Amino acid sequence: MPSFVALPEVATVKRREFRSTLPALLFLALFFVVPVIALLLRSVLEPQPGLQNYVELLGSSTYLKVFFNTFMVSAVVTIVSLTIGFPVAWTLAIMPSRWAAIVFAILLLSMWTNLLARTYAWMVLLQRTGLINKMLMGMGLIDKPLALVNNLTGVTIGMTYIMLPFIILPLYGTIRKIDPAILQAAALCGANRWQALTRVLLPLTVPGMAAGALMVFVMSLGYFVTPALLGGTSNMMLAELIAQFVQSLVNWGMGGAAALVLLVVTLALYAVQLRIVGNESEGGR
Amino acid sequence: MLLNFERLGWLKYVLLGITLLTALFLLLPIIFIAALSFGSSQWLIFPPPGWTLKWYSDLLADPRWLSSAWTSFRIAAIVTVLSVLLGLVTSFGLVRGRFLFRKTLRALFLTPMILPVVVLAVALYAFFLKIGLNGTMTGFVISHLVLALPFSILSISNALERFDKSIEDAAVLCGASPLEAKIRVTLPAISHGIFSAAIFSFLTSWDEVVVAIFMSSPTLQTLPVKVWATLRQDLTPVVAAASTLLILLTVILMALFALVRKGLKS
Repeated sequence: MPSFVALPEVATVKRREFRSTLPALLFLALFFVVPVIALLLRSVLEPQPGLQNYVELLGSSTYLKVFFNTFMVSAVVTIVSLTIGFPVAWTLAIMPSRWAAIVFAILLLSMWTNLLARTYAWMVLLQRTGLINKMLMGMGLIDKPLALVNNLTGVTIGMTYIMLPFIILPLYGTIRKIDPAILQAAALCGANRWQALTRVLLPLTVPGMAAGALMVFVMSLGYFVTPALLGGTSNMMLAELIAQFVQSLVNWGMGGAAALVLLVVTLALYAVQLRIVGNESEGGR
Repeated sequence: MLLNFERLGWLKYVLLGITLLTALFLLLPIIFIAALSFGSSQWLIFPPPGWTLKWYSDLLADPRWLSSAWTSFRIAAIVTVLSVLLGLVTSFGLVRGRFLFRKTLRALFLTPMILPVVVLAVALYAFFLKIGLNGTMTGFVISHLVLALPFSILSISNALERFDKSIEDAAVLCGASPLEAKIRVTLPAISHGIFSAAIFSFLTSWDEVVVAIFMSSPTLQTLPVKVWATLRQDLTPVVAAASTLLILLTVILMALFALVRKGLKS
């Protein structure tokens, strides 16, 4: 934006503006960049220099199972959130705004409620004598209580609950941006509902879905609290493994190696997401 | 027409049904916890056999709950002030400056948002063990500031980008010093950004649990760490009471946030 008046010494003012980012830069360098790099370095330096930590991490079936659990839970959570999230975002985008405001308030309330409070609620709801099991038994769907908690089922339910708003809100934005006239045109050209949905509406929302799904997937990969409380000790996820290496086993080499794997996957997927979002905003109106 | 609510036909009811069920799914645990916190069953039976305030009096009678809440509040308050101040100074540089690597720098400032928290927690834990900050107030404040700062920079620089700098220049032309113009003209104009930065920073610190688990010591615990430690032992209804108070705080902050935004629009 051009300035209204040309102030003198514009160049110096702008250089001075750079200086004002220095305190934050210094702070993050010291308490963010240095500690993270130091942790990653320990994975190739401890107990002795070499790649033995990575060989052990990627070679043992115990750790491979943790990777498998992490990817499976994240994938299922992403797919379920997307399946529920798409119709909800669609409805929100077109329903009368007074009703939509109520749904938005619920979405925000659930997002802003303390994570531990929400996880605690699911621990109670899903336990053997909990409300969900009681309701299912009352309806005659099951004879004895299902094991819904202390396993990956519990983790998946709890995480889907947390991730749903993160997929509904961006998808809502994507659908709002679609011009209804495009769908009118599809109808005029003879498309029926099903064709309009699969050939027009869904393809137009694909960039938003991909961006939202990647974000949820990446967030799920590194989640710690919910898997630790709703999952069992035999079904660990990656973030718990990192914490365990450091806290109970005091094995910094392995902890650093697991952290590097998580970090690399996260940053790579995040780069893909940035590209999708970037392309969408360039291609959009 | 798929994007016209009135002309959806039967599909309208399908979509409304799914949305209603999802809204209930999102609301269910929150209402459930609030109801249980007043229930008299030690084993969290629902519907509860009777109603009681016992869990709230247990909560308030235990000095460890109160002291951890006070610790959380002090940390969150300091983090909020530092995060807003640092976010303000940094945003001016990021938005107004025209230097090389500005975009890279902005990306760097936002990285703590996308980095898995557990990695940061473990990294800072190792670092603080070396320099003796583990289990201290300073350690808590520093680590929560790393997490809160991106939100602060994001909200303030968004507000600053929408503010027309020529208004500030006009104030300078009318005789205000550059600093005076910033404080008396620009700051009030971007106050909604500053306000959201403060709320987000406060909540980031107040609700944060992963880093806090690693930072805490037996003598210094935040409220989420206390909840976490209690939950690992048993599912006592006292946690339901604590959770309900936390939910109440969320509702109050949300209402405050909505009010301020409404007030700014009119």
